[in-house]
Amino acid sequence: MISVSNLRKKYDAAEALKGISFEIQKGEFFGLLGPNGAGKTTTISILSTIVEPSQGEISIAGFDLKKNPTACKKNIGVVPQEIALYNDLSAFDNLLFWGSLYQVPVEVLKKRIDEMLHLFGLYERRNEKIKTYSGGMKRRINIAAALLHQPQIIFMDEPTVGIDPQSRNLIYEVIAKLHQEGMTFVYTTHYMEEAERFCDRIGIMDNGQIIAQGTLEELKSLSKIDETIVVSFSNLDDVLFQQLATTHNSIVREDGVVRFLSSDAKADLSTVILECNRIGLSITHIDIQGVNLETIFLSLTGKQLRD
Amino acid sequence: MFTLAIKDLKLFFADKRAMILGFAVPIALITLFAFAFGGVGGEKEMARPRRLLVADDDGSLGSKKIIDQLDSLPEFRVKRMQRDSAEMRVKKGDEAAVLIFHEGFSDSLDAGNKPPVEFKYDASKEAEIAILQGALTGKLMAMIGGKSMLKNALANFDRQYPDMDSASRAQIHAQIASDMGGGQSQQKQESFIRTTSLIAEEENSPGLIHAVAGTAIMMLLFAVIAMGASILEEKQEGTLKRLLYSPLPPNQILFGKMISANIISTLQLTVMFLFAKFAFGLDIFSHIIPLLFMILASAYACASFGMLIASFAKTRQQVQSMSTLIVLIMSCFGGSMIPTFAMPEFMQKMSVFTVNYWSIQGFYDIFWRKLDWVDPTFLTRLAVLFLIGTVMNVIAVQLFKKNALKIA
Ligand SMILES: Nc1ncnc2c1ncn2[C@@H]1O[C@H](COP(=O)(O)OP(=O)(O)OP(=O)(O)O)[C@@H](O)[C@H]1O
Ligand SMILES: [Mg+2]
Repeated sequence: MISVSNLRKKYDAAEALKGISFEIQKGEFFGLLGPNGAGKTTTISILSTIVEPSQGEISIAGFDLKKNPTACKKNIGVVPQEIALYNDLSAFDNLLFWGSLYQVPVEVLKKRIDEMLHLFGLYERRNEKIKTYSGGMKRRINIAAALLHQPQIIFMDEPTVGIDPQSRNLIYEVIAKLHQEGMTFVYTTHYMEEAERFCDRIGIMDNGQIIAQGTLEELKSLSKIDETIVVSFSNLDDVLFQQLATTHNSIVREDGVVRFLSSDAKADLSTVILECNRIGLSITHIDIQGVNLETIFLSLTGKQLRD
Repeated sequence: MFTLAIKDLKLFFADKRAMILGFAVPIALITLFAFAFGGVGGEKEMARPRRLLVADDDGSLGSKKIIDQLDSLPEFRVKRMQRDSAEMRVKKGDEAAVLIFHEGFSDSLDAGNKPPVEFKYDASKEAEIAILQGALTGKLMAMIGGKSMLKNALANFDRQYPDMDSASRAQIHAQIASDMGGGQSQQKQESFIRTTSLIAEEENSPGLIHAVAGTAIMMLLFAVIAMGASILEEKQEGTLKRLLYSPLPPNQILFGKMISANIISTLQLTVMFLFAKFAFGLDIFSHIIPLLFMILASAYACASFGMLIASFAKTRQQVQSMSTLIVLIMSCFGGSMIPTFAMPEFMQKMSVFTVNYWSIQGFYDIFWRKLDWVDPTFLTRLAVLFLIGTVMNVIAVQLFKKNALKIA
């Protein structure tokens, strides 16, 4: 459905994409996971034809992106990272406008808009201006606007950033439904939970490159980490954490908790405890867990996914 | 493309600020200026030299001397021209008036008769004419009026006393000359300058036309720049990105903007003239065809101007801070505020580079000079407006494609 090979993008200052390649099958849910500035949006922008690549081959739905951008565009729906709606128009008028750009007949379009509004739980407020909506509601309309022409492929660029749990869950439901109906997804996020929940395959991006890609299982085996030792402390602070970090290079700190990455947790457990005692950290709880994307990312890059 | 325009119109009418700026403010200003310019004729004379177009049909030494004398006065800067072309320029509205020294000027002066001098003017330039004429009459009278009177008086004296000896005659002549000097005689004299309006005076006051046309165009420029800038706003808001995701060709995004800018401009001008009709009785219905043409041409030129300005800028804020200055300067040069004729010459020369000038002159053509729409002068103005508009559009589209429409 989508094939990208050796894609590069140079901006004046820096190279945002340093030669990435991936294939996405029909109906597949592909996730691009990476920290800020990894190049996720740049990738989506190039795939959605609004940014020209410096180099690379791309085909979407069987069309070459360079030769036939319009055909590509007709097959994709794009949910941009920012909310891109007219604040002074109602939700209904916004959807009517965005849908009409794809030449959907008005009657069909109106029916679909009603469906969308019901789906996203905003039918009652359809005639209110977007500017009166909460962030979460805007996000919902932002997504709906990309679906009206019923594209085969949908690009979503961090569609759930900074919203309330209610909106988020609603959006998750819609995503799950669309995925089930066979829509192909390219989904960027830096929430590993989202990636783990939806993605059939994941590309882990960092610094303009896809450093690993595959199913969650494949990524787990790639990272050579099997387990994490999760230790809770009562007196963790920056200084003590820094001290820990000098002796263990694969650790993640998450609100009072430190994860130690390990290929053999049982063997490493005693070293970890001894080390913590030595520098004066008092342990309140210890747990051994499997790996997740966060720890995979850490082991691959030595960096944390989230700031 | 039309979907885009309709969306813009919806947005425009949803935006109270845009509506107030687009309609309420200009109406208020027009009202204000209509009253202010109502008594345009009473304007004060200004100190700087005014250009005086002179046609010398006589071509004699006498007429030349008078013209040179006029030129040497600080009040005037004389421009000599063939009578035909001079009259043409007045008719076209390029000059306010022409002073004509008819054939036989010198002879009748020598003969002590009323010399054939004529002042032909464009009555729509009431204010300027009043100033010119005022200054001119005094000076010319002093130069030739006094002279011819004296000659008359001396000739009469000689006729009455043909036998007087030459010494006494010279003494008395000198006495008469000094009596008649000093200028009091001017007051007694009727002005001998024949004045002819080349363009008929009528009920539409030039002050009103100026107030309506000048203000409407100036305010329209503000509005259209805001409309052009909405492309930049869409870029900043992210909606432009979404437009670019769609299969719509990028050019059409720009055309959509242009269409909506043109529609809103046309609407705005139409409302202004309707207002002028119902509030001040400007006679728009008897000139409806040329008026519609001129409204369309002006709207087009203004809308294009708005696009052009926006296409230079990077952000909406940039446009906003630039636009006030640009519009005010252009309106000033183009005669939206002060009529062009009341400006120094260099400004008048600059005025042809403004949209305002061509529109305002066009509206004068309609309401004052009463030209029909097929009149070459009027057609020229239409053509210039369309040409300016098209050139600006082409540049704007190129710049937009290079800047605004490029996401990266
Ligand atoms: N228009 C641009 N001009 C110059 N550099 C850019 C431009 N857009 C992005 N970049 C740079 O390219 C790199 C990748 O940016 P990109 O927006 O693709 O990251 P991202 O993965 O989407 O990050 P985020 O999670 O913050 O959205 C960054 O270093 C960014 O500064
Ligand atoms: Mg991004």
